[in-house]
Amino acid sequence: MSADSNNVKILVFACRWCGLFGADAAGRQRIELPVSFRVIPVECAGYVEPDLVIRAFASGVTGVAVLGCHVGGCRFNDANHPALKRLELLKTLLDTTGIGGNRLLLGFGTTHEWHQYVETILGFYRELEGLPSMGAWVPVKQ
Amino acid sequence: MGGGISGISAALDLAAAGQHVHLVDNGFDLGGIVARLDKYYPTDHCAFCTLWAEIRRCKENPSIFVHTLARVESLEKNHHVFQAVILKLAPVIDPELCIFCGRCKDACPRGAARPIWEHAYPPFYIIDRDRCGDCRSCADVCPTKAIDFDREEARFQVPVDEVIWSAGFSEVSLEPLKEYGWGTHPDIMTSLEFEAWKAEAGENRGTILRHSNKAVPRNIAFIQCAGARDLKFLPHCSAVCCMHALKQAQWVRRRNPAIDCVILYTDLRTVGRDYYGYAIRAIEGKGVRAVRGRPSLIYPLPGSDGIAVKFEDTLTQTREIWKFDMVILNGNLQPTIPALPRGYAVPTLATEGRVTRLFESYGHIMTPAHVTESAVHASSAALRSIMEGKK
Amino acid sequence: MPKVTVFLCDCFGEIGKVIDLESIRKRFNADPAVDGVTITESLCLASDVERALSAIHDRGIGKVLIGACSPYGRMEFVRLGLVKKGAELRHVRTVDLREGCAWIHRKDPEGAFRKAASQLDMELALLQNMQDSKDITVRLQQETLVIGAGPAGLSAACGLARLGFRVHLVERGSAPGGLLNIISQAYPGGESGSEKIGLRLEEVSRNHHISFYGKTRVVSVKGQAGDFKVTLAGPEGKTGLRVGAIVLATGARILFPQGLHGYGKLKNVITQMEMERQFSTGKPACRTAVFIQCVGARNIDRPYCSTICCPLSLKNAMRIIDEIPGAKAYVLHRDIMTPGSILEAYYRKALEKGVQFIRFDAARPPGVLGEGQVGEVQVFDAISGVTRTIETDLVVLSTPLIADPESAALARMLEIPVDKYGFFAEVYPNHPVETLNDGIFICGTARWPVSSDQAIAQGEAAAMKAASFLGKKMVSALAMSRMPDQKVGHASVNSDACTGCGNCMAVCPYGACRLQRMGNRSVSRVIKIRCKACGNCVSVCPNGAMQMPELNDRAVCQMIRRAFREVR
Repeated sequence: MSADSNNVKILVFACRWCGLFGADAAGRQRIELPVSFRVIPVECAGYVEPDLVIRAFASGVTGVAVLGCHVGGCRFNDANHPALKRLELLKTLLDTTGIGGNRLLLGFGTTHEWHQYVETILGFYRELEGLPSMGAWVPVKQ
Repeated sequence: MGGGISGISAALDLAAAGQHVHLVDNGFDLGGIVARLDKYYPTDHCAFCTLWAEIRRCKENPSIFVHTLARVESLEKNHHVFQAVILKLAPVIDPELCIFCGRCKDACPRGAARPIWEHAYPPFYIIDRDRCGDCRSCADVCPTKAIDFDREEARFQVPVDEVIWSAGFSEVSLEPLKEYGWGTHPDIMTSLEFEAWKAEAGENRGTILRHSNKAVPRNIAFIQCAGARDLKFLPHCSAVCCMHALKQAQWVRRRNPAIDCVILYTDLRTVGRDYYGYAIRAIEGKGVRAVRGRPSLIYPLPGSDGIAVKFEDTLTQTREIWKFDMVILNGNLQPTIPALPRGYAVPTLATEGRVTRLFESYGHIMTPAHVTESAVHASSAALRSIMEGKK
Repeated sequence: MPKVTVFLCDCFGEIGKVIDLESIRKRFNADPAVDGVTITESLCLASDVERALSAIHDRGIGKVLIGACSPYGRMEFVRLGLVKKGAELRHVRTVDLREGCAWIHRKDPEGAFRKAASQLDMELALLQNMQDSKDITVRLQQETLVIGAGPAGLSAACGLARLGFRVHLVERGSAPGGLLNIISQAYPGGESGSEKIGLRLEEVSRNHHISFYGKTRVVSVKGQAGDFKVTLAGPEGKTGLRVGAIVLATGARILFPQGLHGYGKLKNVITQMEMERQFSTGKPACRTAVFIQCVGARNIDRPYCSTICCPLSLKNAMRIIDEIPGAKAYVLHRDIMTPGSILEAYYRKALEKGVQFIRFDAARPPGVLGEGQVGEVQVFDAISGVTRTIETDLVVLSTPLIADPESAALARMLEIPVDKYGFFAEVYPNHPVETLNDGIFICGTARWPVSSDQAIAQGEAAAMKAASFLGKKMVSALAMSRMPDQKVGHASVNSDACTGCGNCMAVCPYGACRLQRMGNRSVSRVIKIRCKACGNCVSVCPNGAMQMPELNDRAVCQMIRRAFREVR
């Protein structure tokens, strides 16, 4: 897993509750992680809509992770439940468009401890590295 | 007096009503037992997310004075005012200055410098005095000069109009009750010990393992009413243990469906909102076995690494001895009545050791209670103390 | 567009030893959107904010970007420190360069630098494109409404009145008291039902702050927290109220065991409430009483425990033994639900008095037999494994409390959820009296079956919470976040673009998005007080009419674009 792996550019949308507690704890444990991922913190994973995911892919990102609280634990009264369903549906659609549903990782309630966050990120990396390159993606210019 | 869930709720309510509050807790940080639990019922999530916001509010509120690593040394009543003497122990590392860089931990040769428990926010380092060899290398490397071994404890007196007792509960050692076998085998644990052992944030990262040899257990027994409802020991019912055992058992099954979990109970007390539904989901949904029978003897099996539990199965009216890889004891909780060496005597019920005056007490200290009841008592006590003050 | 001031914290080298902060500074100083970059050794110690600010021009603080440690640590102190100096909390954005970068990429300083620069660049885009939600300040009505005058409602009313609030106490029956009017003796203290609430009843009639409306119902509630417009319908017609908080204490009903254990067919098979009535008017005439627990409860239809039936049976069983010389009492149960110290002691007291306990299993319930009137009860004693026959002349059936039939309609009116059994539900277990709708509180058996002591405590808790809420007198919508911080912003809709599809209304957990008529169209409108800025409505809006100004589409798209842009 080299730092310059062209294949892997992950954009993480993480809710600033369960989504990021694990990230914070992983940092405190000084776990070494690959560098090519960026984090956008949001209030609720439900803010993430298919449009944003597609734009990410269009900008050259090769994997998108959406991290949120587990269903039943959302502090906005289960707002993440329909969000999860929407994103699951998106996964299926991504398969049909050729991008591939496995480029969208949904981690709802799976990253609130450091080891869970680390396993999620590293696991996603391994998976993405194994996938064929996204080809000559030209990031959308303004 | 006590900064767990009850104390925090009451302090916030009082502050919102314009009162000034001294919130005293003897731990390194607020949160009490609930903040340290791996999961809590009925939500089955970690508790710290919900408590964290409250703890932050307490610390930021200008009307609430938080005193951690502190205890009330004495309480004297003079007419209508209490004079409380608060003793603040001196933490070697000042949490206000600790930036969590960890250089003290790297510098310490004996592993005495360690971070506070996992879910405290903001986190800081503490020195474990038992391990510390007093070499002071940590103090040399601390960039903010947060470490001071000569820091003195502070004692100060505050006049207060009302006192709210919210020190919660603590475990009673089951060592005197030889029939439970606590202390005779590393796999015989109390439920709070097991909670830390199985915690996702703990050393096993949530995997269920035996304490003796870190192997995966085949079965686990949860023994209810251990030490409780026992006229020779603790006559009361600790209220929270039935739900606690159900929670632990179904989490064990969630993490490893191959582990057989048996709860040996006398009465399965599931009184709160949907608690009985929770029990049904654990028993029918997750396959937790609830067997009615109170064990008479628990002992390590000679010649084997298992533990024997001898009990009467009241469903079949037969005497049984079942072998388990782990035994979790539930029930040995007592209220934490702060010991005041001089001055105002804590009003307690002679037989039960409970605080009597209802408006001055709540949460587990008044009667063993779940989180919801403790929060209700807290707000109720806050209201009553304000009303008392207005008289 | 106002420029952004950037602070980079070295954290005593923790960040600086991995990330080349000087290069970061150079890169951002060259950015036209930035008004100066300051690198400090630390930002979170007491005098740091002061010192850091002195390094910038004396222009007042506009938007600030901080690159330092984790937002869950000491960063909050920094943000609050800046707010004290005049910054807007929403305009202070932070990037985690420590736990989120330096500490996890120690082996790749080059990569860590690129990541730090990107993340800062992304937040910069956010700050540049961020817009401000319009805030509103609401005056909180200082009057309150308590619906239901049972023990919970009475306690809530008295609590609020003592704290200085005007209370409108509404009761659909003709007199206050609720279930306690039927209880002849409460447990564990032994006072009568009316003695238990006597002081409070007196207070209700005495205290000028409390207005009692008997035989009155609530027919409509409009508005939200701090300003509810309520219509009552009573014997004198309709009354309109404007209140800031509502406490629901509408109680519950007892289930009638129709068709169970001979009730209605055999004489002297009665309910607990009927037993209470018999005690109020004298003594029940019996030589033996058999109490059967869990009748119609903890079964498929009602899989819950009703909390009060075990202690109630213990109390009545003990009363039978005390008041009728030579009488016997049996309690047939599946579990004795007396948790805690007070109730467990009560259980022991019953044992000492000679109440006999027989345990049965759900699969083999007892049979009540007789001709015309009850003669005997047969029960398979699960502990001894023997079927026992008890000759008896009185059978008392313990049935559960069930949700009041009017609860569902009230819940809809107040826009709060009920649980699957019909009782009003709270949101978090550690906030047991607070509901999804700010300003509406629940207590007593309307919330869940509880003893009168607990109902009284819950009523007080609800009063305390309502008082805390209203005590501020004025509140800005942004401040009503349930979090220690202000909300990030509010959702806001562009009415011209809105197509009235209603997706937002369907998805909003707080009922903050509403469709309303505008001319001949339906457009969405956001009720700022209710919105909690979760962003779900933004996500389901088909054409971007719904936006979160602080995290609008333009801002987040810029962030995505800059995530992996080449760093010069």
